[in-house]
Amino acid sequence: MKILVCIKQVPDMESRFKVNAAGNWYEETDLAWRMNEYDEYAVEQAVQLKQQVGDADLTVLCIGSDRVKETMKKALAMGCDRGFHIADDDSYLKDPFAIATLIAAYAKEQSFDLIFTGMQSQDRGSGQVGVLVAEMLGIPSLTTLVEFSYADGTVNAKRELEGGIKAKVSCATPALVTCQLGLNTPRYPTLPNIMKAKKKEMISTPVADLNPEASLLEVLQVTPPEKKGGGLILEGDPADLADQLIKLLKEKTTALA
Amino acid sequence: MAGKIMKGGEFLIAESECQDIFTPEDFTDEQRAMAETTEQFVENEIIPHHDEIEGQNFEHVVEGMKKCGELGLLMMDAPEEEGGLELDKASSMLVGEKISTSGSFSVAYAAHTGIGTLPLIYYGTTEQKEKYLEKIITGEWCSAYCLTEPGSGSDALGAQASAVLSEDGKNYILNGTKQYITNGGFAELFTVFAKVDKQHFTAFLVEKSFAGLVVGNEEKKMGIKGSSTTQIILDNCQVPVENVLGEIGKGHKIAFNSLNIGRFKLGAGVTGASKMALGEGIRYANERKQFNRQISSFGAIQEKIADLTASIYASESLVYRLAGLLDDKIATIDKGVDDYYDQYLKAIEEYAPECGISKVFCSDVLAKTVDEVVQIHGGYGFCSEYPAERYYRDERINRIFEGTNEINRLLTSGMILKRAMKGELPLQAESMKAFESLMTPSFEDVDESIPFIAEKMTIQNLKTLFLILSGAGVQKYMDKLADEQEILMAASDIVIQIFAIESAVLRAEKIIDTLSPAKQEQLRAAVKVATFNATEVAASAAKKGAYMVEEGDALTMILSGVRRYTKYDASGLLEAKRTLAAAANDAEKYIF
Repeated sequence: MKILVCIKQVPDMESRFKVNAAGNWYEETDLAWRMNEYDEYAVEQAVQLKQQVGDADLTVLCIGSDRVKETMKKALAMGCDRGFHIADDDSYLKDPFAIATLIAAYAKEQSFDLIFTGMQSQDRGSGQVGVLVAEMLGIPSLTTLVEFSYADGTVNAKRELEGGIKAKVSCATPALVTCQLGLNTPRYPTLPNIMKAKKKEMISTPVADLNPEASLLEVLQVTPPEKKGGGLILEGDPADLADQLIKLLKEKTTALA
Repeated sequence: MAGKIMKGGEFLIAESECQDIFTPEDFTDEQRAMAETTEQFVENEIIPHHDEIEGQNFEHVVEGMKKCGELGLLMMDAPEEEGGLELDKASSMLVGEKISTSGSFSVAYAAHTGIGTLPLIYYGTTEQKEKYLEKIITGEWCSAYCLTEPGSGSDALGAQASAVLSEDGKNYILNGTKQYITNGGFAELFTVFAKVDKQHFTAFLVEKSFAGLVVGNEEKKMGIKGSSTTQIILDNCQVPVENVLGEIGKGHKIAFNSLNIGRFKLGAGVTGASKMALGEGIRYANERKQFNRQISSFGAIQEKIADLTASIYASESLVYRLAGLLDDKIATIDKGVDDYYDQYLKAIEEYAPECGISKVFCSDVLAKTVDEVVQIHGGYGFCSEYPAERYYRDERINRIFEGTNEINRLLTSGMILKRAMKGELPLQAESMKAFESLMTPSFEDVDESIPFIAEKMTIQNLKTLFLILSGAGVQKYMDKLADEQEILMAASDIVIQIFAIESAVLRAEKIIDTLSPAKQEQLRAAVKVATFNATEVAASAAKKGAYMVEEGDALTMILSGVRRYTKYDASGLLEAKRTLAAAANDAEKYIF
């Protein structure tokens, strides 16, 4: 069985973000980087599947500068067998379509039985890459999975819908699944596995070799959210509170005008 | 790997190149992954049980240690042939730093992986390792180290515990009381020191199940309350002769070498604790409002945050520079040789002065950090509801165990002087030169193009000052200088500050070009603040030393030297502190 898991390296979400000079993305300097949270669920599920079927080969794919190799090594330490790195210093400028094209170009040659991706990335959050890859490969995609099982060429899964409703779905492989919070608890790489991962194969290919397509979308402007003023706590008995509130509404808003 | 490997203490007379020192920025992807695994382990497996652990519910500690075993966190120092990973010291120090955020648990971890495991690795026979090491590195068994006794702490060799060979020659019968035994309540394997026939200091591997080993009550402690600290009473405890660790009468080697390693690892641990406490202090300062402003916006608070950030930066730089020194030296040893661990321990002993420095400087930084973090919290810092109060209590032991900071200060300058006397370090010749420089006017022609030149000249000057003072001390007291502890302490304080700021400056020089302009400014600010503070401490120690050693004209001359060699132009100090504080307040954590 051949399995692919696609991951993305994203900034630590506790970082202080600044808009970059071009105004179309965040400034990448002085940030700490880690694996996209949803991709951790994808890697964990892929590793569990590999352990379940035994005879499986699990590749982890990541697009980005050389910096992303550190995150790929984590996936290798979690249990992936080999890494395929698409070297691209400007991947942040590519839209979900362009990114999906690259993954599909690689995956087409490899005929994977199952492809795992995160439900979305924590930084761009489009949620499109997985489904686009499936579409380009002409295989079914099951999204936002919170439960996954596999037997005899069939995936049985639960999807998370709005309002806490779950949907049971099933499809035959080859297929692509996108993973949601709650699917599993990602393992931490053990120290012996971190050391073993050093010896695993990691192929790096320049993005140009995969005939990248132009993006369909262009980010025009990225801006930080507007700062909201702090709340105001009024104190006193109810009658007094009502007076204070009316005074405030008159002075500071047009609600009573 | 360094181009040139410095000898222990040699930093005092030679200039190090920034390319030759190891810095946290040199960590490999693998080392960073180990750090991340450790952080996640603490966050997910220990912090949720924090209250139970503080309440001495040791099940959670034992369980946590087993999980550490599964993750490989207990096998870093064990040899590969025994199932270990045999990682370098930089890796084990990094993991030690990250585990330190687990509070009391980290004490159990440090005791187990340090003094609980290393004697077996370094001195154990193949049979002993086969019998015990797997249990230890998987966390199946916790381990403890029994050296201290009610009547012998710093004076470890004054132990009273005795070992007598049984009539049939199969067992040693151990009697005595061991005190302050970390992990005592749940350890299964104890490395116990006792004197065979009341004179030959020897180590023994003692299982909990051996008849006559009695675990005493838990001590009621000021801090690290969730760690187990008991007496271990040996009441005719029968230990098979094959459980003698190392050679009979050579226990002191095991005891002291284990402590050396404990000292540099402690440096890493307290550095992690300092970072955690600082983060807590900053977050509180950002949250707390007085006079309608966040208190973090006040200069009085900002200065604390800036000073702590600079000190922790120095502490971190020092710890990993030492890791690099040790790793480079150990890497020169041929692994195939029979006396590998003898050479290995000699390599570590080589840097015993630096290990002492690491222990003292970094634990003093933590002490200052937790004190200021309580202060930032005001009255809330005095209440147990906030973690600052626990940090304050937990910190205190770090200046006591693994050799008190006084013992470590005495050892640091004592060892350097001893090596000088033996001719291993050409301190005397350098000291003569320093004296000569004192009598010649200085023509300081500064090449401003050299990065951090002001700081480098200050470091050079402090070294000259140390040489002048130690030279004067040696001249006056000769080999009796070791008895003049006040002077040794003053000398150590200068040495410690030199090593700390030199580490801070060399690291900055090594990494600065890789940083963004904003980060570069912060780094320069940290170097300035750290150098200024360190120079003031060294100047005060030097002055004290001068008054203690000399009088009359000689005193006048040395005091003029103190003034001349402790000048540091810290222009822009206020801006530097505000830069550091602003960045730290924004990030809400230690920024380097």
